[in-house]
Amino acid sequence: MTVSPAVPKSWYLPSKPHKFCPGCGHGIVLKALGEAIDELDIQDKTIFGCDIGCSLLSWDFFNCDSTQTHHGRTTPVMVGIKRSRPELVTIGYMGDGGGYSIGSQHLLNAAVRNERVTLILVNNTNYGMTGGQMAPTTLPGQKTETTPYGRDPDVTGYPTKGPEFLSALTQDDAYIARATVSNYRQLKRFIKNALCNQIEGNGFSFVEVLSTCPTNWRTNAQQTLHFLEDEMEKYFPVGELKNPLGKGDK
Amino acid sequence: MFRFQSQTNIIIEAYIGEYASGKSEMAINRALELKRQGRKVVLVDLDTVEPFYTLRPLKILLEEKGLEVISMSSEDTFGLGETGAMLTPQARWALWREGDIILDVGYGVMGARTLNLVEGAYESPHLRILAVINALRPMTNSRDRIVEYLRDLGRVDAIIANSHLGEDTDTELVLTANQIVFTAARQLGLTVEYVAVDEKLRGEIPEERFPVPVKYIKRYMPGAMWK
Amino acid sequence: MQSTIGESKKAFMTGNETVTWAALAAGAEVMFGYPITPQNEVMHYWTRLAPKFGREFLQTEDEISAGFTVCGAVQAGKKAFTATAGPGNVLMQEPFGMAEAMRLPLVAVIQQRGGPSSGTVVYSQQEVTLTTYGGNGEGNRIVYSTATHQEIFDYVIKGFNSAWKYRFPTFILGDGYQAKMREPLTIYEPQERGIEMVTPYPLIGKAGHIGADREVQHLCNIYSLEEELYDVVMQHAAEYERIIPELVEYEQKECDDAEIIIVSHGVVSRAADDAVKLLRDQGIKAGYFRPITLRPFPEQQLRDTIAKSGAKKMLVAESAYGQLFRLIRQEIYGETIPIETLLMPGVGIIDYDIMTKVKSIL
Repeated sequence: MTVSPAVPKSWYLPSKPHKFCPGCGHGIVLKALGEAIDELDIQDKTIFGCDIGCSLLSWDFFNCDSTQTHHGRTTPVMVGIKRSRPELVTIGYMGDGGGYSIGSQHLLNAAVRNERVTLILVNNTNYGMTGGQMAPTTLPGQKTETTPYGRDPDVTGYPTKGPEFLSALTQDDAYIARATVSNYRQLKRFIKNALCNQIEGNGFSFVEVLSTCPTNWRTNAQQTLHFLEDEMEKYFPVGELKNPLGKGDK
Repeated sequence: MFRFQSQTNIIIEAYIGEYASGKSEMAINRALELKRQGRKVVLVDLDTVEPFYTLRPLKILLEEKGLEVISMSSEDTFGLGETGAMLTPQARWALWREGDIILDVGYGVMGARTLNLVEGAYESPHLRILAVINALRPMTNSRDRIVEYLRDLGRVDAIIANSHLGEDTDTELVLTANQIVFTAARQLGLTVEYVAVDEKLRGEIPEERFPVPVKYIKRYMPGAMWK
Repeated sequence: MQSTIGESKKAFMTGNETVTWAALAAGAEVMFGYPITPQNEVMHYWTRLAPKFGREFLQTEDEISAGFTVCGAVQAGKKAFTATAGPGNVLMQEPFGMAEAMRLPLVAVIQQRGGPSSGTVVYSQQEVTLTTYGGNGEGNRIVYSTATHQEIFDYVIKGFNSAWKYRFPTFILGDGYQAKMREPLTIYEPQERGIEMVTPYPLIGKAGHIGADREVQHLCNIYSLEEELYDVVMQHAAEYERIIPELVEYEQKECDDAEIIIVSHGVVSRAADDAVKLLRDQGIKAGYFRPITLRPFPEQQLRDTIAKSGAKKMLVAESAYGQLFRLIRQEIYGETIPIETLLMPGVGIIDYDIMTKVKSIL
């Protein structure tokens, strides 16, 4: 029996320990991504791109070529790289603000054009790095710095369901899923599938990951998990919406 | 199971309040006061909103004065971009440190809930949550506004009256503005721990006009580049 | 409109909070915004206070949208504003350009951060060029550069009036330090100071039947022919130039006998002011000149100051790599006074920095 290494081979060790807050889900997502890169043996041909927001703390996270972009602009930068060098594996990493708000037109149009990139979007229901403002994914009634009296859907609408709308925009060769940091094995499988879909030359690949932000939620460990598993997962169903690989999550 | 439960004379205080109410000043002054008493003191920056702007510029100065300071240093923030990671593991586990713990809690709509982020804080029998109120700040400049504000804040154990106008503070203002804080405290049934007054006004304040002690403080935040 | 501040009073606040109170006092009815440091607390305070005074807020999907929703709101007759910084200021240049083209009374507060690109969130004076001349084409705008919280309060109020009186987009240019600094100021209802706030009015959607009570409104910002655009640009330029004397503001101290004139703007002028006093104490005849409006620039006033003083040198000090410097050279073209610079992009400047520089060049 082999014991899997605690740290993925594709992690960049000089940047560890990483700088995410205690209890933040980013570290879990990036570990799953790191293991997926290792298992697919794509470290040398991976281009990792990250957004502005907390996701940018991953700019030197991997021992892979990486580029940090502007708020919301990771998707078109990765599209530019992939179209120039189709043999590379391009991974865009962003938050819910970057993907669903300021970068939504890029996300939507990349999906429509079936761009062969893999995008991982972390949904923690708020803008973490700017201090906890409302995000497109903030739940109804949830307090944030710009919804001090709770999010009112009459004023700001309901939370964005990204995988659902991207499913409606894409063709059969796209991979679309929603994972959660509370189910690591599934999370890693979904990320791996999203990478395989790109490597096999299919279409657009997208994984939203439900994640935690105890710092801005002001929650202790128990409250954090409660919010993730009971509040978020109720509103945002977890699972694969499209899987052209024929090895779906059963 | 927690270290602090075995120690009986330990002081754990959290300073909370409105943005720019004087939380950091109170926390720094209190930490230094305890230090002068020969105690071991840990000062923790829990400003989760803007770590770049709070204790960071003062960290070295305060460490030279003998405090243990848990805060972002300029070097730590390299590569963080934006405002950086808001909470360090050291801050989360601050109560496991030896000595008195002074927590400088940043502002935000969540109020005292920020203490959820400090392991063991709410289980500690020693924790005292002190709300700093400056009645010359528009958000808290009347009895009703202070009452409304404190009710939203969550648990508060006592109030510190810190009404001032920076360099424009005078005795009259200290007396009149802090009366508003006392009125609000009475309505809420909370005690005012002390009245904080800039040491520049020492000797000018008729202390007997207040039913609680006057504590003279030195303002350190103007020493930060951005004030 | 409901009173927001009541009796004039002293208050202790941060700069961002000051923006919010000033906008409330000025009668702003709606803010559209998007998170970006260091202006976030403008939104945080606005969202807390707005419902108490019947005002509104929308967090848009990005800064492009925030700028354009302001354009829409002011066309509909609402006093609307936004606040941003850095990359957000870049994105807003598109709606700002529309406001220039269509003469929309948009108000924007810019809290400069470091650049290029995402730069830093902390501080700089590197958005001078973008804020004064950022649009495509040649639009006209009004830019006030503040130095104190009192000025932030005063000029946000004034900014709404300038925007609605002259119908040019108006900017209050601050920076990350001013945004976060805390200091005392006096807050007041403009009416109490005899400041009459211009009443907003709709440009479209006016009352009455089209053709009977009012003319139909067709607003546009694109023209078929070169000559049509030419007429519009020339007309706007002429109107702007006509109001320059009413708009231009500056501050000048100790320049009459100055051997060296220190020119700075915004928060750096506080250091320059101190430096001039300290240099004078040491027998060095330094003078202080500060444009408050960066656009229109107090060009003639600076020329006159140079001429009157007979100064041997001018020193431009800014937390940028030459944006004010470039603006000054363009504005006072033809002057022969040698210009020295203290350029510290994205870094704060204190009196000591300026004094040291002055001594090294005199």
